Amino acid sequence: MGTFIQLVIDGLSTGSIYAALALAIVLVNQATGLINFAQGGMAVLSAYIAWALNGLGIPLLLAIVAAVVISFFLGAVIERYLIRRFERGDPDTAVVVTIGLLTLITGFCAWIWTYNNRLFPSLFPLETIQIAGAVVSVRSLGTFIVIVACMLLLQALFLGTKLGLALRAVAINPASAAFSGVNVGRNLMIGWGLAAVLGAVAGVLVAPQLTLTPGMMDSALVYALAACILGGLSSPIGVVVAAWLIGVLENLAAVYVPFIGHDLKIAVPFILIFVVLIVRPQGLFGRKAVVRV
Amino acid sequence: MAANTDLSHRSPLLERPWVRWAVIGLVIVLMIVLPLMLPEFANQTIARIGVFAVAVLGLNVVMGYTGQVSLGQIFFVGVGAYVTAFGVNADWNILLVFVLACIVPAVIGLVIALAAARLGGLAIAMVTIALPIIGVPLAKRLSDFTGGSQGTSARFSSAPEWTGLYDDQWQLYIVFLIGGITFMLTRNLVRGKYGRAFAIVKGTEAVAGSLGVSPYRFKVLAFTIASLIGGVSGFLYMVVIQYTSPETLHFGHSIELLASMVIGGAGSILGSLLGGIWYVLLPQVTNLIDPNITAMLQGAILLVVLFILPGGLVSLPSLWRRRGRDGGSGRPGGPVGGAMQADAAASVVGTSTVGDALGAPSTQPPPPTTQSPPPPTTQS
Repeated sequence: MGTFIQLVIDGLSTGSIYAALALAIVLVNQATGLINFAQGGMAVLSAYIAWALNGLGIPLLLAIVAAVVISFFLGAVIERYLIRRFERGDPDTAVVVTIGLLTLITGFCAWIWTYNNRLFPSLFPLETIQIAGAVVSVRSLGTFIVIVACMLLLQALFLGTKLGLALRAVAINPASAAFSGVNVGRNLMIGWGLAAVLGAVAGVLVAPQLTLTPGMMDSALVYALAACILGGLSSPIGVVVAAWLIGVLENLAAVYVPFIGHDLKIAVPFILIFVVLIVRPQGLFGRKAVVRV
Repeated sequence: MAANTDLSHRSPLLERPWVRWAVIGLVIVLMIVLPLMLPEFANQTIARIGVFAVAVLGLNVVMGYTGQVSLGQIFFVGVGAYVTAFGVNADWNILLVFVLACIVPAVIGLVIALAAARLGGLAIAMVTIALPIIGVPLAKRLSDFTGGSQGTSARFSSAPEWTGLYDDQWQLYIVFLIGGITFMLTRNLVRGKYGRAFAIVKGTEAVAGSLGVSPYRFKVLAFTIASLIGGVSGFLYMVVIQYTSPETLHFGHSIELLASMVIGGAGSILGSLLGGIWYVLLPQVTNLIDPNITAMLQGAILLVVLFILPGGLVSLPSLWRRRGRDGGSGRPGGPVGGAMQADAAASVVGTSTVGDALGAPSTQPPPPTTQSPPPPTTQS
């Protein structure tokens, strides 16, 4: 039973990382209607920035905060000068643009910092605590709490502030928002910036565990996309729940299903997707899109 | 194309049947003569270009022609290669091995597409990104079949005694033969009724549906054909490289294939060939400078191409001609490939109801001129 609880909590912790990335993807998708395949790459870049700042002698927490702020502006700049041009065009072209961006950012990280693994210091102590007979690492718990706090903050921003209202208006209907005097372009930049911030948080939280490499977030991106499909891109809560579900299920499957093991656990969400696609094509929580022809 | 003839001096020459046949004849003669004359390294490089040109061609069927972003093409190349290696090592007839190397990836592709295409939009991209990422551990796991992380090799493409050829020449001939046939068949496919159906699905699914073309069925078909061509490429991969390992399936290679396809020219047969050349030659060039810059250069050039040359390298000559003619009114930043007519169709549908016109995300109403196909077709 102890192992089981431990696996569930570890699963929730990795699931939170996927959830943060998935939420960033949903944020971008709601605002601009495209899937940002570079979201993971941008998160890796943020983690590298934090690592480099820390290497310069800046305390870790400060370095992370600085990297998060830089990520916000980086995300906004990418939206303004790269994505803006493709936003209202063919969505497939826009997707290829984000894939190009992913290649560019990964290549950039590899060029500056090489493909060697870098050790990223952990924010949390490497201790364990006892909860209900299970040994739980502080890191797992901390990761989970930080990401949940970020989500609550985001929710408060979207529902409780004027900026959030404007962001939602732009996401729902850019034309009407523009008619009402909302600066659509600036809000799109903010949306991308916030997504980059979420990615950056996920990146610095997962980096100590995976060690920093240019391709660190590739599989996290795959999990996040799986969470987006499962949860339905129109439902942020659904995506988060799906990400947690994936994190827990893959952890349990890795231990309790002998054939899957730790190397094949990435297949778990996709088996899940196959089942869901056949039963509920709009995702677990998504709304069915009704198209008028 | 017909409208081009009175505007340009150069295209009519290429349009004439005898010129076409002469060009085709010349290419065939070159394909026969060149392997005998070139040094070994050049032959091997050309053979590898052939292998990856076929892989890019397959990607082009699903992406360039049908408009479904696929990030898993390298997976099917890998499956084809593994099936070939397994069959050869089990001493099966080589024809049977070839057929299996085509069919096994096609069936896997079919099953994946049946599920993924049920979700609209970008679901195929989101699902196929998982293929190479699952494929690598899977290939390591199924070590009885794949040789685990050591990989597996199969030597079956040595030149037979009676030909008196060197191995590299023989391999290049095989690549020319199988690759050439694949290119020809694919060209016929995309020029025929299936190609037109693909183009409509790429344009607007609603239009496709109203014309009696099931978007779901044609997406699945295109994806299956792409997987099959990937399998052909995998077979050729084993002919030329004779060794495969989980590294073959690496996610990065899938992205490189996609970048090569867009840079070569999406929705173009010749573009696939250029894509193959790009795929093989870019790392060779950058390795001379600094191997670490390959990925960055690839990404940067991909973005530049999307910005200023959305049709890829293959559209350079026509862009050049248009520049010369009307002072550079080309439309940069348009959709990948020749989706412009499709855009026109989309704008017709998009404004069919008032609610749609106000509510649709594409609220910059297209100027009426975009409803007629772009510049070259000026009324004479």
